[in-house]
Parts: sequence; C-alpha cells; structure tokens
Amino acid sequence: MERIEITLNINGKPHEVKIYPNETLLDVLREKLDMTGAKESCGEGVCGSCTVQMDGKPVRSCLTLAMEARGAEIKTVEGLASEDELSTLQQSFIDHGAVQCGFCTPGMLMSADALLAENPKPDEKTIRKALAGNICRCTGYAKIVEAVAHGVHPQENCCDCKPKE
Amino acid sequence: MSDYTIIGKRMPRVDSRAKVMGKAKYAADLKLPGMLVGKIKRSPYAHARILSIDTSKAEALPGVKSVVTGKDTEGVKWGVFPYTRDQQFIQTEKARYIGDEVAGVAAIDEETALRALDLIKVEYEELPAVFDPMEALATKTELIHEDYPNNVNIHVNIDTGNVDENFEKAHYIREDTFVASEESYFHAEPYAVVARFDPEECLEVWCPNGGPHMKSKPLSNSFKIPLHKVKIKKIAIGGAFGGRSEICPADYICALLAKKTGKPVKITFTREENTIATRQGHAMITTHKTGVDPDGRVIARETTCYMDGGAYSSTGPIATSVPFLSMEQAYRMGSVRYNGYRVYTNKPIRGMIRTHGRGFACGVDTQLDMIAEHLGIDPVEMRLRNSRQPGDYTSTKSHVGSCAMDETIHKAVEKSGFMEKWGKLPPFHGIGIGTNSVQTGFPMGIRGGSQAFIKFNEDGEATVMSGVVDNGQGNENMLVQIAAEELGLLPEDIHLVNADTETTSSDPGSYSQVSTFVGGHAVKIAAENCRKKLFEVASKALKADPKELVAKNRQIFVKDDPERSIPIKKVVRISLLSFNSVNAEGGYWPKVDMKREWVKNPYGQMCEAFSFGTTIVEVKVNPDTGQVEVLEATAAQDVGYALNPLVLEGQFEGSIAMGGQGGMLTEYHEWDDGRCINPTMLDYKLPLCCDMPKINNIIVESIDPKGPYGAKEAGMSIAMSAAQGYSAAVSNAIGVHLDSFPLTPDKILAAIRAKKAQG
Repeated sequence: MERIEITLNINGKPHEVKIYPNETLLDVLREKLDMTGAKESCGEGVCGSCTVQMDGKPVRSCLTLAMEARGAEIKTVEGLASEDELSTLQQSFIDHGAVQCGFCTPGMLMSADALLAENPKPDEKTIRKALAGNICRCTGYAKIVEAVAHGVHPQENCCDCKPKE
Repeated sequence: MSDYTIIGKRMPRVDSRAKVMGKAKYAADLKLPGMLVGKIKRSPYAHARILSIDTSKAEALPGVKSVVTGKDTEGVKWGVFPYTRDQQFIQTEKARYIGDEVAGVAAIDEETALRALDLIKVEYEELPAVFDPMEALATKTELIHEDYPNNVNIHVNIDTGNVDENFEKAHYIREDTFVASEESYFHAEPYAVVARFDPEECLEVWCPNGGPHMKSKPLSNSFKIPLHKVKIKKIAIGGAFGGRSEICPADYICALLAKKTGKPVKITFTREENTIATRQGHAMITTHKTGVDPDGRVIARETTCYMDGGAYSSTGPIATSVPFLSMEQAYRMGSVRYNGYRVYTNKPIRGMIRTHGRGFACGVDTQLDMIAEHLGIDPVEMRLRNSRQPGDYTSTKSHVGSCAMDETIHKAVEKSGFMEKWGKLPPFHGIGIGTNSVQTGFPMGIRGGSQAFIKFNEDGEATVMSGVVDNGQGNENMLVQIAAEELGLLPEDIHLVNADTETTSSDPGSYSQVSTFVGGHAVKIAAENCRKKLFEVASKALKADPKELVAKNRQIFVKDDPERSIPIKKVVRISLLSFNSVNAEGGYWPKVDMKREWVKNPYGQMCEAFSFGTTIVEVKVNPDTGQVEVLEATAAQDVGYALNPLVLEGQFEGSIAMGGQGGMLTEYHEWDDGRCINPTMLDYKLPLCCDMPKINNIIVESIDPKGPYGAKEAGMSIAMSAAQGYSAAVSNAIGVHLDSFPLTPDKILAAIRAKKAQG
C-alpha cells in the first residue's frame, strides 16, 4: 500500500501528514500528530471516547478514515481552550465534579460542545440523548448532565456554578 | 467540626484541569524514543497441555525484535498469598483458559507484531475442560491445578457456634438459593503498559494500578532484582473498580520484552483482552438458610456459597470472604455458619469488583423480605430490627466503632417516600430497599500502612509525597485538601508527588477502600508534624505560645489576636536562615488484628472502620417486554465525615450506575464452552446517560473515632446496596421474589408468566 500526503485542518491549523489510506482519523491524531486527547476505548464506535468534531458534528474518529476528514474543519479536545483559558463548558465540567478518571471526558466534552453550539439551552432529556453515545463508567452521568446544562448558562441556584465575574 | 477552611468543602478536583484539556497522559498515550510494540499470544483452548512452541518463523520476520515464551522466564509463580501461588506469567506446561498467556512479541509496529503472533507455532494437547463450579467439584478429569483436589481453590469456613441449637429455637426458618453470573469492570481505559530498563538497569513501568507498591513486589520477585530497582511510575488511570490491584501478566511480559530488546516496549490491550485477560467478577451460587425469632430477628444463619473462580487464584481468599463479611457487618446475627468455596474452572480469572457479591447480598435481602412478608412486618422495620449498631462486635469479632446504619435507613425512607408508597403502588410499579456495609481496609500485614513526607520550599509552598494512587475516585484531591488544611496553605500551593515507588513509601493502594483512612491519615500526620516546626519558629517571631497559633491562608497568626501574624513563606525563610529546613514525615498503620487470616483464622479486628449504606429504588416494569424503567434511586451512606461532598456525590452516583443500573439489570457474561461471547462494549450492556434515573444523594456522618477528621470509606456501600435496592424494587413491582441475577427482561417475563399461570 502506498502512503499518501494529505492536509488535515485541525483546531484551525493545517497539518500535513503522510498516511496509508486505511488509517483512521484517531490513529493519525494520536500516532502521527501527538494529539492524544481523543482516546480509544472500545475501538468499534460504541463508547464515544474518540469523539471529535467534523464541521461541528460529533464523529467517532475510530470509525472515520483520515482520508474522509480531508477538507473538513476538525476540532479536538485540544482545541476547546484558547491558549490556557478554558471554555465555559470545560470549566463547568471541573466546577460540577463531572470528571473522575477522565478517560471518557474528552469525548464527552466534544459531544456536549457540539450540542451546545446547536442548542445553547438544552433541556435534560435533550442532553441525555445527545450524550447517549458516550459511555462513562465512573460518574453515573448525573454531574456530567448538570455540567452541560450549566455549561453556557451558569445558574444562580446551583452551588457549583462559578459566580460570573 | 465546621471551622475547617478546606476540608468538608465542595472543592473541584485538582486533577480535572489536565483531564478537560486532554493533556492527562494515560499509559497508552506514552511515546518513548525507540519504543517497540508488544503483543501477547494467547491460548485458543480452555484447557490444553503445551507440547511445543516454535518461534523460529516469528523471530525471522523482519521488524521483530524479540519473541519470549515460558522458557525465557525464571519460572516464578505468582499469587497474592504464599499459599495461592499458582500462576505463571507465561505458561510453560499448560493453558487453563481461553486467553492464557503463552508467548510475547516485540516488533517495530503493531502490524508486524500481529503477524509474528500468527507465525508462532504452538502444539497443544487438548484436555477436558470444566466451565461450571459444581461440575468442576465433581469432575473426574484432569485437575486444573494438580495441588488442589476437587478443583477447590479456597475454602473459607466461619462458625460462631450455636447455629444448630438456634435453628431449633427458631420461630420461622427459610432456605433459598440465589444465583448470579459473572460481571466485568469495563474500565473506560483498556489496559496498557509501558516498560523499559533505564541506564542503571532499573525497571521502569507505567500501567494502570490500584497501588504501585502492589505491582513492584511481584516484578521484583519475577526478575529477581531488589525492590528499589523496580520503579512503578505515576500515570493517569482510567478506572480500576478492584480490577487493577494485582500484577497483570502483561506487566511482566512487557518488562521481559524490554529487557531482551534493550528498548522501551508498550503493550495496549484490545477491549476483548481487557475483558478476558485482566479480571472479572465471580459467578456465584449461594444458599442462605435463615432462622428468626417471632419478631423477625435473625438468630441463626447458615450460608454456603460456590464461586466460579476461573483459572487462577488471584485474590481468592479475600474474594471468598468479602461477600459474607459485608453482610455480617450490615446485620446482626445470633449465630452463623459460613462455607465459601472458590472453585477453579477453565474460564478467565476472577477478582474483586465494585459490586462483588451481588448474588450473595441480594439473596440475604430478598430472603429478609420473604421472611418479613411471612411475619407481616414491612421491609424497613425488618431491617431496623436486624441492623448493625455502634459499639457492636460483628460475628467474626470486629468491633464497630462508628455506625449510623439506622440513620441511613431513616433518611433514605423519608426522602424516597418509601412508607407512603410500599404496598400502595399500582401493578408493575414497585419500590425496594437494600442495605449493606463495606470494610475500610483489609488486614494487609506489612503493607497495611502508609507513610508520607512533606517538604517546604523557600517560596513557602510545599511538596507532599505519598504512595496513594488515584484511579479516578479523587484520591489526589483528597491528599491536597488534607495537606492544605493542616499546613494553612491554599490547594494551589501544594505540589503532590504520588503513586511512584521510587519516591514514595509503601502504601496499601486504593485496594480495600482505604486510601483516605490510611494514606490520607499519613499525610495529615505528616502535615501536623510539619506545622509544629513552623509554629516553633513563628512563636518566637510573634512572641506567642505555639499552642495559641493558627495557620490559615498562607499566614500564621495568634488565634485570639489575628492582627499578630506572619506569612508562612517568611517563617520558612527564617527557619532556613537558622540552619533548619522545614520538613516532616508521618505514618499511619491501622490497628487490625495481625493474627486474623482469611482462611486459617477469620476472626479478630478486620479493619478499624466500616461504612454503612442504604439504597431505595422505585421502578416500573413493562409486563409485556420485561423492561425495567427506573424512576428514582435514593442513596444514603454513613461516610464518617464528608471531606468533599462534591466528590462524594460523584461516588454515590457512579455506584448507583455500576452497582444497580448495570449490576442488577444488564451486566453479565455469556459463554460458549469457556469462550466469553460478549467481551466487547457492543455486546455487554453498560448503562448509558439516557438510562439513568434521578438520584438523591444523602450523606450521613457518624464521625469515626479513628478516621482522619472522622472519615471512612465513601461510596462502596452504595455500590453494594444499590444491587439490593434494584432487586427488591423489581421483585416488589412484579410480586415475585427473584433469585437469579442480573434481572434481565427474559427472567422478569418468565417470572410474570409463571405467576400468572399459578393464578
């Protein structure tokens, strides 16, 4: 098999990589570009740990060929914060105790970020549905749902929402 | 207890920032210069003699750097106890389950390593295999381990005496048998290990672990090198749940490949390997015979449990005991006889799991509900009449210092509206209660204690060194909270060095729910000792008695005259200018009965504290499909003292998910002649976000006299009682006491139909 040189637009920057056509986006991110935020947990598109966004939509990078991602705007967990300043959603995950072992967190954040971009005030049912493709073994999801619900709009009656500055 | 500055507060975890940025490194994320890819060749047979292994073709494949088999090992057998050493890390004589390790390969990339595995030729002689503990007990075929007659790996016998006499006095007796299948951890992170030998010939290993010091000893034994030459390094860990406490054969194989090649090697498990070749829960067949007095108090119980132990012993003696111990802690019993048999089968190895003993505990509670029904007592009153009380001794002679079991029952009952709902809900709508108790620590001999070191830097900030590991539950934050509280610093002033065998002293690990109680305690004592040194220096500067001083917000001040203060940074510098560094150590060793032994002498003080938990669950069952909709779960646990309610709630909620929602409704393994047919996430059904009910968390505090700030184990009593609560609720909804776990739709439908047929 011949290696092909392609350009991937990741977190606003072009990256040129030489890949085999059968390489997944996840492998290219992790092995070739040292972006290890996206994780492999099930390797068959069930758990959502490898979730990244392509043109704003959450996709399983373990089931996506890197070739398919050409021309798309790819966003990974590494692109959520600007410099060292966390996104509101990332901060909300911390403040609401939504992170335990943290292995599912990058994928969870990418699914939630995509949801909030489309619907900034989702109700609980919508959040639970949007995150149904991301498996977490530690939290029971309660604090994750809370973190997403308060991700864009911190709520006054929530003891874990940071006061607005 | 409310004058703490940092302890007891809802503090977001210090490790979260790196995790939400995708910067936290797990073992599979590591990349070292020259690193090779390792893979393991596993047995395709459940029971087979290894006649020969030919590695020549694999070795000749370009890109292959090393192939190892049992011949390359020192032949050391591993076991947690001297009497359970039954497992080689690479098998030399025979394979005992589908997945047993027979060879390892290191190559330049994954594809080459996988091709090399296929080129290793192993000649086997297939042997008759057994897949069921009862069949294994009776089999006349070749034993799985020749030293263990009838394939009995472990037999635990506990007898308080007077059992038969008390059965004769009993007002009512029931005997029921309960069965439960194996469940698995399904950690988010598949197992991965990186190993290399450094220039000083020290072995460095990065891998998920429940305690780094528990990994270093077996590796030291296997390579016959001193402990100080084995460096288990700190790494982010994607969950453990009891499944990563022991050495994993992959750790050894990876290190052996690193030794042979002189290069770093990484082995990353597939999801299937993580399921079959780490650990699983035990399948169990448990018979409880219980005799009560006219008021429903248990005066005699006889329990016999057969556990499917799989191919090797693992934590066998502990696993055979804990389901019984949890229930003897939760409930008073006039007398009890327990026989637990852990039986070898040709299936993957079984270990401790968060919900260890669901069939056992659900059996006890289901039977209590059946007895209560017979006597006309409600389930809450039945539990209150039998519940553990503070100051009691358990049946195996452990003193219970703190216990708020009744308070967890009362508060959960009130919050859930149990009494208003029980017996009054419409058909197929039910509510149930479960109660349980978990150990804060096991007797672990010389590895039972933890020691911490603290050093102040000249800028007034401190470095804390502790062997405690964080598997995801928040242990690192716990240590930082304690150190900051005691030293009068802010959490960001603490730099934590932990879970590294080179720089930290021995520690029992997160094993046995003991990190806060032992490891946290050690940090607290070290910090108190360090603060004493600061106060001695500050007392001279402030012209005040050290006893009058307080440290808070980076300042030391006189308690009754806060204007008289000095920054901690200045105190450190004064100390350094007087030729004294500011540092201290502190250690904590739980005062358990060192003569207590799991098999030989299962009596005496087990651990210093026990947690107690109650879970109440409300469900609706669809009578046409057998599907269960969970409406609400209420979790109440006596945690001693809540060091961080935010973290605690997360433990409760995760426990409801794994213990109840998954543990009681969907999670189990299916088999075909010893082959696990649902080892992946596609086939094994884990709870999803959309499945989970509303969860009410109730933190109950009893201020344990021995625990740091009064704290003890936090969360596991919910994981255990959740299974019981779920099971009781489904039974209540359909009007049948179910005896086979988990409660999958097929079993629920069969029970509904059988009841209908009876009229």
